Amino acid sequence: MNNTEQPAEKASAMQVAKAVFWSFLGIRKKDDLDRDAKMIKPHQVVIGGLIGGVIFVLSILTLVKVVTS
Amino acid sequence: MAVVQDVHGHHDHHPSGIMRWVTTTNHKDIGTMYLWFSFAMFLVGGFLAMGIRAELFMPGIQILEPELFNSFTTLHGLIMVFGAIMPAFVGLANWQVPLMIGAPDMAFARMNNWSFWLLPVAGMLLVSSFFVPGGAAAGGWTFYPPLSAQGGMGVDMMIFAVHILGASSIMGAINIITTILNMRAPGMTLMKMPMFVWTWLITAYLLVLVMPVLAGTVTMLLTDRHFGTSFFNAAGGGDPVLFQHIFWFFGHPEVYIMILPAFGIVSEIIPTFSRKPLFGYSSMVYATASIAILSCIVWAHHMFTVGMPTVGQLFFMYATMLIAVPTGVKVFNWTATMWRGSMTFETPMLFAIGFIFLFVIGGFSGVICAIVPIDIQVQDTYYVIAHFHYVLVSGALFAIFGAVYYWLPKWCGRMYDVKLANMHFWLSMIFFNVAFFVQHFLGLAGMPRRIPDYSLQFADFNMISSIGAFGFGLTQLFFLYIVIKCIRGGEKAADRPWEGGNTLEWTLPSPAPYHTFETPPVIK
Repeated sequence: MNNTEQPAEKASAMQVAKAVFWSFLGIRKKDDLDRDAKMIKPHQVVIGGLIGGVIFVLSILTLVKVVTS
Repeated sequence: MAVVQDVHGHHDHHPSGIMRWVTTTNHKDIGTMYLWFSFAMFLVGGFLAMGIRAELFMPGIQILEPELFNSFTTLHGLIMVFGAIMPAFVGLANWQVPLMIGAPDMAFARMNNWSFWLLPVAGMLLVSSFFVPGGAAAGGWTFYPPLSAQGGMGVDMMIFAVHILGASSIMGAINIITTILNMRAPGMTLMKMPMFVWTWLITAYLLVLVMPVLAGTVTMLLTDRHFGTSFFNAAGGGDPVLFQHIFWFFGHPEVYIMILPAFGIVSEIIPTFSRKPLFGYSSMVYATASIAILSCIVWAHHMFTVGMPTVGQLFFMYATMLIAVPTGVKVFNWTATMWRGSMTFETPMLFAIGFIFLFVIGGFSGVICAIVPIDIQVQDTYYVIAHFHYVLVSGALFAIFGAVYYWLPKWCGRMYDVKLANMHFWLSMIFFNVAFFVQHFLGLAGMPRRIPDYSLQFADFNMISSIGAFGFGLTQLFFLYIVIKCIRGGEKAADRPWEGGNTLEWTLPSPAPYHTFETPPVIK
């Protein structure tokens, strides 16, 4: 990849989780986005996204269980 | 976007005659061939649509025998999805992705040639299947067993065509991913990429994910038909519903494969003609990724009526409705981009606004279909036909038209006749709605899809729909005339024909030289 900027410091799990959560909604504050772009590495987003996807599916399932119980 | 570019050192010599096209590894040549191929298939699929609408013009059987009518609907769907819309987007990607990221060509240039040349073979298999004993496949474009287990040789030809088209799509997708990830000009970080490139990157991942699933499904169908397996045969212990699950695990992401690049095109056109940067660029990227992820967990909303536990129905209903959230973010962002912009309404912008207007109608009818009790009523009726034509014709196809009118001056160095092009838009807009809006009413009144004859109470709306469809079909021949007129003798186009165009392709001369960005531009 041609991105020559090196991440300043490693992002925390919470920061990745927040970025993934907002991406599920499809919106993000500009300042937070800039910070994410500097600190979060692509593989963190992919892992975070997969975990987020599982949590998302489980939450819908839980909701369905509550509705049908 | 500030750009430093070396414009020296172009060498425009290349093979000529037929061999130029057979052996070419140039992304522009291959893009052109993709676009012409998809237009040819669009005319074939359109001819089939005209046959369908002619038969449905009046009640009773007039032109097509029921079996042939079924083949027409089946091949219309397959040809439009796999032969027209998908190759058109790949053609646009071939032309535009390298130009927009400052790359000299696609990453795997020879594979690119092969990806294209597989298509005519598949196209011929599909079209010639009409002329073999037993006729073309007639079980619907979704080729559910047991119908598809029963057909003649035409079904096998369709299966092989789908295999070949799938292989072509996978290779195209790998090429696009590698090009985007490895060949961007220095300084073009991921978050500086144009939205069209972003949407294609995500689409390409979806293609790599689901096309092998389709290949597996049709292979299982093939072995059921000829090699004694019973994957989908209840008599042998298999399950036809299994086919539907696997097919739609491919089929629903496929819907987004056909619409995400359209989102990308609209996200290029609207900022250009609003003379403002795209509102919420990063949220557009996020929303695209979000839609792609969600598209993989909603497949069973296509099969609410086949029998499913309530828990399953609710899960797929909720997940489907949630897709409206990121899609709504996109529509909001496009509208916000236009808000207080210095808007002008050139042809690409007309198609982009038409896209937003009609895609929202298609999106809303999609949310309606997602509600289980309603879906059980409208399943397999014309309501569903109206819904997905609003998404695929006024969505995907209008975006493709918009893209052609946006980039044609760059491709051929000539400007098209704007008056005629605007007329193409308005005729398409009017005839499209005449053809498809009334189908909502037909569906709600209970008219089933895939039938050559219908009860008398559906007669008036069907006649209106057919008149709209004939008008829409003829209008597309007019589009062909506009494009040929432009190529053969249009006015010379400026290098940057749209003053709001800020992406890299507008830094190149018009027409774009045969080789571009041999020295990568530097993005600052």
